[in-house]
Amino acid sequence: MTTYILQRLFIFFPMLLVISFLVYSGLELSPGDAVSHMISPELASTITAEQLDAMREAYGLNQSFITRYWIWLTSMVQGDMGYSMAGGVAISEIMAKTVPATLELSMVALFFSTILGCSLGVISALKRGSGTDNSLTVAGMAGVSIPEFFFGLVAILLFAIELKWLPVGGRLLPHYETLWDRIPNIVLPSLVLALMMTAGAMRYARSSMLDVLAREFITTARSKGMPEWRVNILHGFRVALTPVVVLIGFRLPLLIGGSTIIEQVYQWPGIGSMFIRSVRASDYPLVMTISLMYVFVVLTASLVIDVLTALIDPRVRLGKE
Amino acid sequence: MESKDNIALSVRDLKTFFYTNNRCNKAVNGVSFDVEKGKTLCIVGESGCGKSVTAATIMQLLPTLSRIEEGEIKFRKNDEIINIEKLEKNGKEMREIRGSDIAMIFQDPMTALNPVYTVGFQISENLKYHTNLNRKQIREKCISLLSDMGIPLPEKRVDEYPHSYSGGMRQRAMIAMAMACNPKILIADEPTTALDVTIQAQIFELMDKLKKENDTAIILITHDMGVVAELADNVAVMYMGNIVEAGTADDVLRRPTHPYTKALLESVPVLGRGKNQDINPIKGSTPDPYNRPIGCQFAPRCNWQTESCDIMPEISQINETHQVRCHKYEQFFEKYNEKRNSKIT
Repeated sequence: MTTYILQRLFIFFPMLLVISFLVYSGLELSPGDAVSHMISPELASTITAEQLDAMREAYGLNQSFITRYWIWLTSMVQGDMGYSMAGGVAISEIMAKTVPATLELSMVALFFSTILGCSLGVISALKRGSGTDNSLTVAGMAGVSIPEFFFGLVAILLFAIELKWLPVGGRLLPHYETLWDRIPNIVLPSLVLALMMTAGAMRYARSSMLDVLAREFITTARSKGMPEWRVNILHGFRVALTPVVVLIGFRLPLLIGGSTIIEQVYQWPGIGSMFIRSVRASDYPLVMTISLMYVFVVLTASLVIDVLTALIDPRVRLGKE
Repeated sequence: MESKDNIALSVRDLKTFFYTNNRCNKAVNGVSFDVEKGKTLCIVGESGCGKSVTAATIMQLLPTLSRIEEGEIKFRKNDEIINIEKLEKNGKEMREIRGSDIAMIFQDPMTALNPVYTVGFQISENLKYHTNLNRKQIREKCISLLSDMGIPLPEKRVDEYPHSYSGGMRQRAMIAMAMACNPKILIADEPTTALDVTIQAQIFELMDKLKKENDTAIILITHDMGVVAELADNVAVMYMGNIVEAGTADDVLRRPTHPYTKALLESVPVLGRGKNQDINPIKGSTPDPYNRPIGCQFAPRCNWQTESCDIMPEISQINETHQVRCHKYEQFFEKYNEKRNSKIT
C-alpha cells in the first residue's frame, strides 16, 4: 500500500502542472485583462491608450503568455502565491481567511450528510416497501431535484425571517467571542448543503444495502443464529459500505465547488464567493491559486478513496505486494 | 407419531406456501419424514420441487413472502421436544437452535462466506454466540476445526479472507463453521454442486466422517443419484412439493416403486455400462407451480397415467420403511420386478 501511495504521489505533481497550464491558457483566451477590469466605465473614456499600456507594463501584463506563466509558476513553487490584482492583498492572506470558512462549512455538511444519509438509507432498505421507505424515497427524490439555492432561500425565509430562530447569513460578527456564538450562523448553510448530499447518499446506501441483503452470506449469518442487528449491520452494512464510501469520497471536491452557491446565498466568506469575484475581475494569480487548490482536493480525494476502499474491503489490494 | 429416542427431527404434513402477486405457490405441500441420529437422509428431486424450501423451513430461514402454513417440525433437543414451527422466526429460541443444534451448509461456497471478514472470524461468531468459551479458547477451537477439515496451515489460514481460499477449501470452511458447535442435525443444501468432482468426493468423505464421529444426523439435498447411492441411509424423492417415494436407500434405489423415481434413475448414465446404454430423459418439464395438474402431480409426464390419477394418491406403505404415493404402484412394482427377474434368469 505504501508503494501505491508513493506512486500516486509521483504522478500528482505532473498532473498539477498540466492542469495549471490549461487553466492559465483558458484565462488568456477569455476577453479582457485585469487592467480593463480595474478601470471603472466612467474613467475608461478619459484614459489614454498610453496610460493603459503603462499600467499593463507596471503589472507585467505586456509580456508574452509563456513568460507570464513561467514567472507565476516559479514564484508559486517557491511558495509565493503573489498578490491579488484586484485588491492588492497578498493571496496567502486571502486564503488564510477564506479557506477555513469553506472547510468549516463543508466539513459540517459532509459529516451530517454522511451519518444521516447512511442511517436513513439502511433504515429504508431494512423496511423496504413500508411507509417509512416510501416517504424517505419521496423525500430523497425531492432532495436530489430541488436546486440548493432555492432550498437555501426558502430556509432563510422560513427560519430566519419568519421564525427568527437563526441569523440570515454571515459567519463572524465583531461581538462573537466563543465557539458557541458562531454555531447559529453555520446551522442553516450547512444543513441546506448537507440535505442535498444526504438525499444522494441515502438513495445510494439503500440500493447498495438491498443488493447486499439479498446475498447468500446474509442467510449464512442468519443460519448461524446471529441476532438481526448483527446480520444487518455487521454482515450487511459493512459490505454495503464500500460503494457508499466511494460516493462520499467523490463528493469531497464537489462539496467545495457546491458550496459556491450556498456561500453566495448565505454571504459566507468562503472560497466559493472569492472564486466568483476573482474570475469576474480576471484576477489571474487568485484564480490560479484557487483552481489549483480545487485540483489538489480532487486528486487527494481520489487517493483517499483508494486507500479507504482497500481498508474496508480486503479483496482490494493496491499495487504489488 | 410416537417419538422414538433415535429420531432427531420429525416433520409431519409440512406445508410452506409462497405468496407473490396474490398468487400462491404451494412450494412444500404436505411433506412428512423423520431423520434419525447418525443417519443421512437424502432428499432428491428436480430443480424447483421444494427440496431447498423444505430445508429453509426447518431452519426458519424463509423469505418474507412465504410462511409455514400447516404441519409440525419436531426437533429433539436432548430429552426435550421442540416444535420449531411454533417458534418466532428470528426470535431468541430459534436463534439458539440455529447454528448450534441445527446447522446448514449452502450450495455455493463462493457466495456463502462474507468477503470482508476472515474465515476465523466467521467461524468464531458461531462459538461466541453458542458457547461460553473465551476469546483464546475460541481461536484455538477455530484452528482445530480447520485442521480437522484438512485445511493445511490452519494457524495461518484462520486469519485469511475467503477470497484467498479455493472453492473446496471454502466449502470445508463452511463445514467447519457448521460443525463448530457439534450440531445434532446438519442440513446440506447441494453442498457440492458448485465444486468439481474430485473435491466433491473429499467433501462427502468429510461429512461421512463427521456423521460417524459426532452422531450427527444429516439431511443432504441433492439431485445427483450417484451421491445418493454412496451416502444415503434413507432417501426421500420429492416432486412438486410432495414426497412421492421414501424409504431406505436400498428400497428406493434397488426397488423403485414410483414411476418418477424410476425415471430419475434411468435419466442418469451409469459408469461402466458403455457408450450405448439407454438414457431416458423424463419427458416434458416440471409444471408451472401456479398452474398445477389436478391429482397426482407427475401424471402428465407419466407413462402409467390413467383416469384414477386425477385424484391425489394417498401414501401407501409397501413395507415398514418403504412408502410410495402412487395409484398404480402395485402393477408398476410387479412389472419392474418381473423384468428384473427375467433378466436374472
